[in-house]
Amino acid sequence: MAPNKRQLAMVMDLNKCIGCQTCTIACKRLWTRDEGMEYMWWNSVNTQPGRGTPRDWEQMGGGFRDGHARPGRMPTRRDFGEAWEFNHEEVFFGGKGAKAHLKVQGEEPDWGPNWDEDQGAGEYPNAYYFYLPRICNHCTHPACLEACPRKAIVKRQEDGIVLVDEDRCRGYRFCMEACPYKKIYFNQAAKVAQKCIFCFPRIEQGVANACARQCPGRVRFLGYRDDHEAPIWKLVDQWKVALPLHPDYETEPNVFYVPPLAPPRYDEKGELDESQPRIPNEYLISLFGPVVLDALEVLKAEMAKTRGGGKSELMDLLIAYRWKEMFGGFDRDPATIEWTKA
Amino acid sequence: MQAPYLPNSGVDTLLDPGAPAWGSVPREQLKLEGTPLGLQPSSAIRSRWMERKIGNIDRVEVAAAHDGRDLAFRLEWDDATENGQASDSDQFPDAAAVLLPTVPGASIVTMGGPGGAVNAWYWRADADGGRHVVAEGIGSSRTLDGEWVRGRGIWKAGRWQVVIARALRIDTPEPVAQLEPGQKTGLAIAVWDGANGERAGIKAYSGPTWRDLVLDAMPAGRRS
Repeated sequence: MAPNKRQLAMVMDLNKCIGCQTCTIACKRLWTRDEGMEYMWWNSVNTQPGRGTPRDWEQMGGGFRDGHARPGRMPTRRDFGEAWEFNHEEVFFGGKGAKAHLKVQGEEPDWGPNWDEDQGAGEYPNAYYFYLPRICNHCTHPACLEACPRKAIVKRQEDGIVLVDEDRCRGYRFCMEACPYKKIYFNQAAKVAQKCIFCFPRIEQGVANACARQCPGRVRFLGYRDDHEAPIWKLVDQWKVALPLHPDYETEPNVFYVPPLAPPRYDEKGELDESQPRIPNEYLISLFGPVVLDALEVLKAEMAKTRGGGKSELMDLLIAYRWKEMFGGFDRDPATIEWTKA
Repeated sequence: MQAPYLPNSGVDTLLDPGAPAWGSVPREQLKLEGTPLGLQPSSAIRSRWMERKIGNIDRVEVAAAHDGRDLAFRLEWDDATENGQASDSDQFPDAAAVLLPTVPGASIVTMGGPGGAVNAWYWRADADGGRHVVAEGIGSSRTLDGEWVRGRGIWKAGRWQVVIARALRIDTPEPVAQLEPGQKTGLAIAVWDGANGERAGIKAYSGPTWRDLVLDAMPAGRRS
């Protein structure tokens, strides 16, 4: 496979994500409303530490180890969580007033795509959690693409977006086993694999991804990896505060995360205890590798600068004073485009 | 194997695996083997199947007959579980296919090659009918337009009975098998066991060499 000429990337600042799922819904309404897509959440936000979606995906294998394919497990719809049906009709139009409540219809579910929301870990008063939004990582070394026996997955030359060619896809699902992030879904109606398309029809019109543009918390930066004037390069390469999730999977993701800082811990006397972090380092290292500690040090140092009344280019960048500057030039208003459905 | 000429049987009749017409057609037992791990086209597939059995179905009973217009294959094999419509992504349908060369010496294990296409008549337990497939190398298979291939399967008491049929000759520029009564050609069979997660190149097949298939000539004076 010839290397792609340019690579689009996204940075998500985990210190700003409030877990509101606006990104999730923006994506859902735009891309996954057809038959067979009911259970799909190309964008998901889960509470960490947690089992995530699909359930326990970090224990499912896939990706590579020392350059060799690592066997991966097939995520099932039960693992992702079924699309629940509710008694909307009865509650909203049944004339039963407060006597009727929203209830999942059919079998009582024991799992869902955001089942362990806000559970986190740790003990009061030092409990901790943070939100982890996830999309397809549009990897530089995509395990899905490599796994497909039909070359039905392509990585676009012009921007590195990874797409499933649904005309070539036969629904064999080797990609779902191979993707270590378990971000590929099987459409039982169309019998093809489907996943996040990085909103390429928007990107091609200069419009940022729906998940990025709709984010109320200004969490998501977008742009080309090699654009030195835009935030992605500055956060990933210059400041080195944005890191790929699970670099140990060796697929080289193009989604990067600014790791979460947390408030200080309390000791037994109720005093602030800054000798150790509230979120254990080992946990963050398990997600982002040992360089996460360096990234956190940079973040703390730059925060300290601004607390002292100084200026920090990094903090200004992360605060994202100017919303449109987050999008690496993809800042066109989608309302200015006449969209047609093919 | 011999494909006898059964006048007036008609493909609609033969598509029923239980049709009395099949009673007079000789059946041949073919041993099946798993496709070689080393030929699976990606390292992800090879690593996943390194320690798993490829090709759960070890034999298939094959019969073939033609009526001068259509050629039908009847396959029968033991399969303890019926895997049809899947309800989740870890479930795969049972399937079977008949493979024919389009040029002498076309390669089975590589699913043909450039300029040496193989032609598969494919049936799958989760869909009515069949698929008409051309391949010119691993991973290159294409399903052709048109409902040329017909298939029907019945699973009963731990056994699949499947008929796959197509017209002997069809009008297409695609590299497909064009057959006629009296002709001798090659034949290979593949069976997928859905319960074992078999799909794509993960299957049982009749081996790397073509079996003979001889289509009985029609008596003089009859034309297809």
